[in-house]
Amino acid sequence: MKKKIAIVPSIIFLFVLSIFFYLLLIERDRSKLPSNLLNKNIPQFETESLLKSEPFISSNEFGDEIVLVNFFATWCKPCRDEHIYIKRFSNEKKIKIIGINYKDDSKKTINWLNNLGNPYSSIALDRNGKIAIEWGVYGIPETFVVNPDGIIKYRHVGPITNKVYNKINLLLEEIK
Amino acid sequence: MNIKKTFLVLLTFSLFQFFSHSSFTIEPDEILKDQKLELRARNISKNIRCMVCQNQSIDDSSAPLAKDLRLLIRDKILDGYNDKEVYTYLTDRYGDFILLKPPFKLSTLALWFLPFVFFLTGIFLVFFHNKKSKKKY
Repeated sequence: MKKKIAIVPSIIFLFVLSIFFYLLLIERDRSKLPSNLLNKNIPQFETESLLKSEPFISSNEFGDEIVLVNFFATWCKPCRDEHIYIKRFSNEKKIKIIGINYKDDSKKTINWLNNLGNPYSSIALDRNGKIAIEWGVYGIPETFVVNPDGIIKYRHVGPITNKVYNKINLLLEEIK
Repeated sequence: MNIKKTFLVLLTFSLFQFFSHSSFTIEPDEILKDQKLELRARNISKNIRCMVCQNQSIDDSSAPLAKDLRLLIRDKILDGYNDKEVYTYLTDRYGDFILLKPPFKLSTLALWFLPFVFFLTGIFLVFFHNKKSKKKY
């Protein structure tokens, strides 16, 4: 009886150890956190727009079709890296893309878009980062997929890579 | 005497460190005029995780997002939000992860209770083991 009980701590220890080992082995990025806004309505906001004289009113922009929302800035290097994929969404997939220009200098942004191309149908200015907080953003670039009902279906933190591009395309097919 | 002196120096130093903790991250322009409201904002900030640094509170962190969140908390307090409403506002957007102390929920039950379970199991095992070995001798 005593011997049997003595085994129990070892079994528990091995069990805990295997959990830790499993967590080490599986591919996961601790910096990527789940969005609390998934499957919820988009946060509504009004702000200035870039390149257009009329203000940016979110309720006029969402709700008819699938929209990709991309938080970006010219000072953010990964934003430049992912720009090619944002353009592909616009050119090849004909997806409406709304850019939210985060804490940036408008002149620099206009130059940046002239150089790299402008895939955005409209650009909202988030000068003090308040819109980003409304969206639960904690580090740009971040990209959201919003379905035609104005509900957030996907969120990606970090630059869009080829892998993420394909993943989002699969999701777009599903939503359609 | 020498040891006592060293001890006193170390004690003074650590006390200084202890009380001066985190008084530099908050910038003067952030502080509210009303001390009561400022104290509430400070207390909330201490429980809010800096999502960029992840193991610091926004009260300790000098990350730009931490500053934005500190300002936001003060705005909300000035708008008349109570503490609970401020926390709800933040968790609605960033999830429970933004709270440094996990909330007491069904999904976090194991987190809260497992330490006690392990403790009691330990006591039980030690007690049981002692009883058995006493009998032997």
